[in-house]
Amino acid sequence: MTENIKEVISRNVWKENQVLRQILGICSCLAVTNLMINSLVMGLGLTFVTAFSSLTISLLRNAIPNRVRMIVQTLIIAAYVILVDIFLKANMTDISKALGPYVGLIITNCIIMGRAEAYAQKNPPLISMMDGFFAGLGYTAVLLIISLFRELLGFGTIFGFNVNFLGFETWTIMVMPPAAFFLIGTLIWVTSNIFAPNKGKKS
Amino acid sequence: MKKGRIYTVVFMLIVSAVFTLLLAGANKFYLPKIQENERLAEQTAILYVFDIDQSGSATQILDRFDKNVKQTTISEVTLYEYVSTEGQPLAYAVPFTGPGLWGRISGYMGVSTKLDRITGLVFTNHSETPGLGGRIDELTYREQFKDLQITAETTLAYGEDGASQIDAITGATSTSNAVLRILNQLLDDTISRLEGTDND
Repeated sequence: MTENIKEVISRNVWKENQVLRQILGICSCLAVTNLMINSLVMGLGLTFVTAFSSLTISLLRNAIPNRVRMIVQTLIIAAYVILVDIFLKANMTDISKALGPYVGLIITNCIIMGRAEAYAQKNPPLISMMDGFFAGLGYTAVLLIISLFRELLGFGTIFGFNVNFLGFETWTIMVMPPAAFFLIGTLIWVTSNIFAPNKGKKS
Repeated sequence: MKKGRIYTVVFMLIVSAVFTLLLAGANKFYLPKIQENERLAEQTAILYVFDIDQSGSATQILDRFDKNVKQTTISEVTLYEYVSTEGQPLAYAVPFTGPGLWGRISGYMGVSTKLDRITGLVFTNHSETPGLGGRIDELTYREQFKDLQITAETTLAYGEDGASQIDAITGATSTSNAVLRILNQLLDDTISRLEGTDND
């Protein structure tokens, strides 16, 4: 029983959003969300890696010996991450510099391994690729929301464009890592009330 | 389907070989471009410490660099010189490198030929925490060093201790202190060595 594409999209972007519902990929969420452009590139990088590693793993799923499957997954993920790193270094030097070690750390992002192990290992290639792709987009969306608040309040800009027409005092705290903690916490709180408003009553 | 040990080993060998080849190919393909980017970044950095216009396309920057800057060695220190159109040296860009919090921090400090003023500070390479120690790269921090008066005895310090009113990024990273340590060592060891040659 495979899902159709609509279900894959709504599950990954919304119902089971990797960051908000599964609390995965938090590390990079805290680190690269001070500017929207960094978040966008990081999100797209992760989306690319998740989509293609899911595709590759799914293609190989019947050939991968079960006992070494996680090593193979890591190897495939690492290869795609290095590709992204090389590409950024060659074509987007500034962003590559700004993201620093976090591009390499995509390898350890739990989202990719999670999709590989939970989905690509058991499902046909095309739908696995879609699953990885939309899981990545869900992550990107959350990153962009958080960085929108951080960049707007911390620098008074959106994607580097000055929108601080009223000349309000920018909040230094928003640029610093702790701000991401507050924002992610708030976002998770708000969204989990939308997702499961009655969950608290069960216990 | 049960898979034997030999199958596993062969499978791993093939998968590793394929992906290694793929990456080696990509690296080879992009290497010239990456090196060119690095050279451009280096030259732009040197133009910055000399306060020369760094805007424009890559070729414009290279052209401006070739016209204004030349590499020389003074008292065994290899550095870049900002040369006026008449061939007079106007300022020096002295390279530095030293241990930061996570890795080496490298860059250039521009000093006037009289060695009494810092003309600019730039980092070409560092692996400090992005968003925290990595903010030494931001102009608000680096511009503080610009036009600082220095003497042979100058030791840079932050805040109230320093005569020169420079501020650390935040107390929450030791990167700020690492930078000062590197710069003070540069002033003590290297820049003071230049002094002897320039006094005549």
